[in-house]
Amino acid sequence: MTALLAITKVQLRIIRNDPWFLVIMFGMPLVVMPLFGKTMGLSLQASGFADATGAEQVVPGQVVLFGFFVGGSVGFTVFREHGWKTWDRLRASAAPSVALLGGFGLPWVVILLLWQSALFAAGSLVLGLSLNGGSPFALLLMLLGYALCVVSLILLMTATFRTVNQLSAFQNVGAMVFGGLGGALVPLDQLPGWAQTIAPITPAYWAMQGHTDVLLRQGGVVDVLPEFGVLAGVAIVISALAVGRFRVDETKEFFA
Amino acid sequence: MLRATGLEKSYGDVKALQGADLMVEAGQIVSLLGRNGAGKTTMLSIIAGLLAPDSGSVSIGSTDVLADPAAAAKLLGIAPQDTGIYPILTVRQNLEFFGELAGLGASRRPRAVEVADQLGLGSLLDRKASQLSGGEGRRLHTACALVHRPRLLMLDEPTVGADVATRLQLIEAVRELADDGAAVVYTTHYLPEVEALDADIVVIDEGQVKARGTQEQLIAEHKMRGVRFTIDGTLPAHLRESLGAVEVGDSAYRALGDLDMRSLLGRFGSDAEILRSVEELRPDLETVFLAVTGHRLDSEGSDVVAVSASEASES
Repeated sequence: MTALLAITKVQLRIIRNDPWFLVIMFGMPLVVMPLFGKTMGLSLQASGFADATGAEQVVPGQVVLFGFFVGGSVGFTVFREHGWKTWDRLRASAAPSVALLGGFGLPWVVILLLWQSALFAAGSLVLGLSLNGGSPFALLLMLLGYALCVVSLILLMTATFRTVNQLSAFQNVGAMVFGGLGGALVPLDQLPGWAQTIAPITPAYWAMQGHTDVLLRQGGVVDVLPEFGVLAGVAIVISALAVGRFRVDETKEFFA
Repeated sequence: MLRATGLEKSYGDVKALQGADLMVEAGQIVSLLGRNGAGKTTMLSIIAGLLAPDSGSVSIGSTDVLADPAAAAKLLGIAPQDTGIYPILTVRQNLEFFGELAGLGASRRPRAVEVADQLGLGSLLDRKASQLSGGEGRRLHTACALVHRPRLLMLDEPTVGADVATRLQLIEAVRELADDGAAVVYTTHYLPEVEALDADIVVIDEGQVKARGTQEQLIAEHKMRGVRFTIDGTLPAHLRESLGAVEVGDSAYRALGDLDMRSLLGRFGSDAEILRSVEELRPDLETVFLAVTGHRLDSEGSDVVAVSASEASES
């Protein structure tokens, strides 16, 4: 527990000392959102949501899409410890894998939660996004579920990959593929049939379904429990796999 | 304090350690001497719990490192060979983090200041580590290992790339720690540092401990004498071969072995008239290392075979 808390705190301190990554990752979706708002509004109206403005798709869509990039940072921070040659010092504390991974993962779950919330708030200001009777607690639950799922998935990939380039490729391509398949780019019913069939294998699908429940179907906490349950359940399973797969003595290659 | 016995470790077919032992008492500084690849870092990594040995045992005080690495981690501090600090954090933040990681509570804050002062970083506490000079960074790297007052401190070549001032400060800090009762294991290729630390010595080669003792004991036990001489012209081939002499300058040669001025003259015999000067070489740690391992220990730790090792005895 000591190591977990110490690592969590130092990760947050590092982010505080260099916040520009988060500033950029907050600004970019805000640039993208207005570009597709009108188109997404037409798409949602064609899908049967007559009063939709488009913000109900484009805001959660960009949050889900960019969330993969933001959450991907947890893997980068682990690899960076190898680049900074501090990994052995962490290991010398004899902290177990679960404490090490937890120490790196926990701050990014919190950051991802706050980052998503901030983007939703910004989306309401910029694009007039409204909960339309949906529960803010339900929305918060979905943000938490997605944060847990993304961070645990990236930690599993971190445990699996040997180089930061491999992780980076997965993060970049994964964001587009998972986001696209999951309905983050366009509403799910606009996708080809085969894509709709396999969409549930992606965390983005469950996140977008939950957001749709809240924003377009006036969903409450109970309504999004299935989606949250899937995301949280997958996060637990993947985290367990990550801890089992993680080898603290494996050399990871950061940028040369 | 530290008892590491029968350590064995192989990497594939390469035997990095072959039954190596290391004992260090509280307040004692032991310098681990060996060439690159001799097994020093492997030994330190095993003691620090970073590497599992194939066989052997390690204990710090009454704590079995292999059975209870978490408890052992509280007792030891290690500064690995590569500088490992957070460049984006300040000196203070680095020290406080490693103190907290080692289990220090609120005391990590005054302790960070204390350690920084000890290593000449007191005025740099709020400077980012990325803005430190190489020597300052090296000092911070070492300071992070001793912030929690470890009972066993292991420094793996702490002065590599460091300037003279940094070396002196590190040596002083290590001596103070030992005076306070810490056991210290210190690896280096710089033999003057070993002398400055007044450290006891363990010579490791090919994964085995070849010799151990105080500097005086080892010099007495492994006395390897030699001579440096200059001649007119070129050294005759039969003398070069019989003396194992190596040319080290313009008509200047060195030869190691049971040689002094008198015996050298005897070996030259009728050729003695070509001798211009003879200087007897003093036995020291370099000649000890050469005698024990058959290799010279140069400042980079590289492998220089015995025939050219006579250069080592000049210092």
